[in-house]
Amino acid sequence: MRNKSSRFAIPYVVWMAIFVVAPIILMVVYSVTSADGDVTAENFTGMGLYLSVFTRSFYLALIATVICLIIGYPVAYAMAKEGPRFQRLAMALIMLPMWINFLLRTYAWMSILENNGLLNQFFRAIGLLRLLGVDHLSLIRTQGAVVLGMVYNYLPFMILPIYSVLVKLDGSLMEAARDLGANGFHVFQKVVLPLSLPGVLSGVTMVFVPSVSTFAISRLLGGGTQMMLGDLIEQQFLGGSYDPHLGAAIAMVMMIVVVVCMAVMNHFGEGEEQAVML
Amino acid sequence: MRRKRNGAGRLLMALVFLFLYAPIFLLIIFSFNAGNSSAVWQGFSLGWYAQLFQDRLVMESVYTTLLVSILATVISTVAGVFAAVGLFGLKRRWRSPLMTVSNLPTVNADIVTGVSLCLLFAAVFQGWGSFARWFNSVQSAVELPARLTLGFTTLLLAHIAFDIPYVILNVSPRLRQMDKNLIDAAQDLGCTWFQALRKVILPEIKPGVVSGALIAFTMSVDDFVISYFTAGSATSTLSMTIYGMTKRRVSPEINAVSTLLFAVVLGLLILSNVLEARQEKLAEQNAALQRPAEYRPVKIRSAAPKVTKKPWFRRTVAAVAVCALIGSVVAMAFAVGFQPVVNVCSWGEYIDTDLITQFEEETGIRVNYQTAESNETLYSLLKSGGGDYDVIVPSDYMISQLIEEDMLAPLDYSLIPNFSKIDPKFRNLPYDPDNRYTVPYAWGTLGIIYNTTMVDEPIDSWSAMFDEANAGQVLLINNSRDALGIALMYLGYSVNTTDENEIREAYQLLADAAERGVYQGKVMDEVFQTMEGGNAAIATYYAGDYLTMRENNEDLAFVVPKEGSNWFVDAMCMLKDARHPEEAHAWINFMASTDSCLANLDYIWYGTANQEAIEQYPAYYEELYDEELDQETFDIIQTPPEVLERCEMYLVLPKETRNLYKELWISLGV
Repeated sequence: MRNKSSRFAIPYVVWMAIFVVAPIILMVVYSVTSADGDVTAENFTGMGLYLSVFTRSFYLALIATVICLIIGYPVAYAMAKEGPRFQRLAMALIMLPMWINFLLRTYAWMSILENNGLLNQFFRAIGLLRLLGVDHLSLIRTQGAVVLGMVYNYLPFMILPIYSVLVKLDGSLMEAARDLGANGFHVFQKVVLPLSLPGVLSGVTMVFVPSVSTFAISRLLGGGTQMMLGDLIEQQFLGGSYDPHLGAAIAMVMMIVVVVCMAVMNHFGEGEEQAVML
Repeated sequence: MRRKRNGAGRLLMALVFLFLYAPIFLLIIFSFNAGNSSAVWQGFSLGWYAQLFQDRLVMESVYTTLLVSILATVISTVAGVFAAVGLFGLKRRWRSPLMTVSNLPTVNADIVTGVSLCLLFAAVFQGWGSFARWFNSVQSAVELPARLTLGFTTLLLAHIAFDIPYVILNVSPRLRQMDKNLIDAAQDLGCTWFQALRKVILPEIKPGVVSGALIAFTMSVDDFVISYFTAGSATSTLSMTIYGMTKRRVSPEINAVSTLLFAVVLGLLILSNVLEARQEKLAEQNAALQRPAEYRPVKIRSAAPKVTKKPWFRRTVAAVAVCALIGSVVAMAFAVGFQPVVNVCSWGEYIDTDLITQFEEETGIRVNYQTAESNETLYSLLKSGGGDYDVIVPSDYMISQLIEEDMLAPLDYSLIPNFSKIDPKFRNLPYDPDNRYTVPYAWGTLGIIYNTTMVDEPIDSWSAMFDEANAGQVLLINNSRDALGIALMYLGYSVNTTDENEIREAYQLLADAAERGVYQGKVMDEVFQTMEGGNAAIATYYAGDYLTMRENNEDLAFVVPKEGSNWFVDAMCMLKDARHPEEAHAWINFMASTDSCLANLDYIWYGTANQEAIEQYPAYYEELYDEELDQETFDIIQTPPEVLERCEMYLVLPKETRNLYKELWISLGV
């Protein structure tokens, strides 16, 4: 029977060859050629120009990931401690926003953060702006706004994997640790944290990767002033300066850097599952 | 485990939920706003909901989203199950590398997947194009279409491609948990392999299949990035429509859509929870009933039909759903396939939409009206194989470039009698010297729009765009030609210069200003919202759009700076290999007619090249609004000769200069 069922893998292997492998090969080909079809390394050598975009993207994505982790872990921990009814409700409440288009949610922040937006209106009403002697606080089109957008959109991706690991933790392990004389902090540090690490790692991946490559969030909340890798790539394909060769090269470099980051992180965390995933 | 009520934990969760839901509730509240602001409450109204159902663009994109998600989910679930079973049957040595490749789309950044698929489709289209041309030339029995474009098919393929791995990821663990002897046993008992699959494997892995399908559907509905790169422009999912809207003037229709979606999802969630609870209860009851069965024979009988009823009910629901799906696909195919269509791409806020309805009623041709952001993005779209258009409305210099690259088709002017009404001074312009490709649509000038309450004195020079005194209050225009053009004009150079030093000097001027924080942002159509809301003081934009903005904010003023500016003509052209040439000519002729030009002029406030229309406009205006058209407004619509004298038209730049522009433009954003 084994031989028979393995036949079903053939169409899928063909499919993967066309829709997974071929596109990536094409990207590599594009990245090492010029518009005239000559082989060139120019797309990579000229990339120093965009160093600031690379650093900004990784910097902002890192901050967003750290913030998500700082907020997300305690929330997941608190959730896992609640009763099953509450847990189900909390899960639903965290999943629910994901069903609303993320562009809509990001757009909602625009109206909150504008110079004449709701937050500034509020500050004006309570006299904070007069106190500070300014007309408005610049909230939108700043790095802070972009990070806020990332945290807002990707926080559930941090909470859910951590929660799903924590909720499966065997309670008797913690009891055993306590019986052996560990205090609350020690139990967390020596037992809970190491065991929840796979969840943390997968959460970090799920927040970091989309953050570093976003272009809609930086476009809406950064107002074109906080260019990120995603914007740069988008610009080369469907944006204002058509050059798919350069775009492919940038996408390649980004992909490689992300994979290396994740591999290093997983190595340190010894998160075997994630290593397999990558 | 000892549970204690954790007050701090609950407080934290409450705060996080507040953070997650506050913007959503704001969206919902402002969907009932009478005005079109998303920050100022102007009274309760359901108007936006009514308007939403009238809005064909939004309704069509909702339909596209649902259709593509459902089809992709069904196909990828079936394919994914077979693939998972197939992979499971392989030896480990083969299975693990294949699984790694299979998982690539789930771990890759969306943009990488999207971009690489976009490249794949572009390459396939190119190959197909050459093949079709060769094939058509060697025989004449079958005519193959030479130009393929991104559209629904590519969108669906892309969705299937990223959905399958999620199905496999959900099904595989179930297969691994399954007792393999079961299959052998089934076959020993005389099952064929397919029967074993259907009767033994499928029931075992069912929960995995269901959760896989659910995740696939969620990913499809929520996806924006991959769709954006693979759907082209004629097909638009809801995310893409929303993205387009957030870049232009944001209509509270968006809020209405999101409120409805939220309500539907919430309803489904509650329903599923209720059903789950009821099922649990039922299971409990059944269990309770079965134990003391001999004491309550009557109740068993009443419970028994319930159990058998259920699959029947489910099957009916499934059958109805499938029929509805097939029916809607067929209906759409009929609607789209048999009705003549013209695909038009223009700019935002650049048409009186009543004209579209009027054209459709008169001719029976459906207009698929799309907008692009700038000439440069339109060019990118066409080059990536995403622009399935018949008629486009690029500006002068871009027309030259498109002609140069052999991307436009010559027009048949015998089908466009209204061309005779075009003012001779708008014929044979440098971008189309023999007037073989174009019919002018509108023209205007570039200038500075400023908020008189936010600047100290009237502006008359481009220097305002670089002045530190306006730091944080200036909006730079988000396309390379206009932005660098502004700096060139300020420096006193020609906007058509090819001198690298001059261009670099202009770039430096912009870069320095950006460095000093003069620019609040780079905008195209976002400018409407920002300037009207008083969120920025100074912007560079086009004359006609200024008049639109002034309708919503009286404090705005417009000036063509003393150093001179750019004047432009946007003209209708037909793409080479356009699929609907007849309809395209009909549309061009319709838009060039005096009546259309008058209506359009009154709506978009851009100058028209139709001589009759511009002569009749003051009278038309008086009749319509019962007041005289003031000279100042008319001068902005129809730039007077003394102002036009200091304006220059963009000419197409040689390739090296274009590359320089591109390079400088990217570095400016960096």
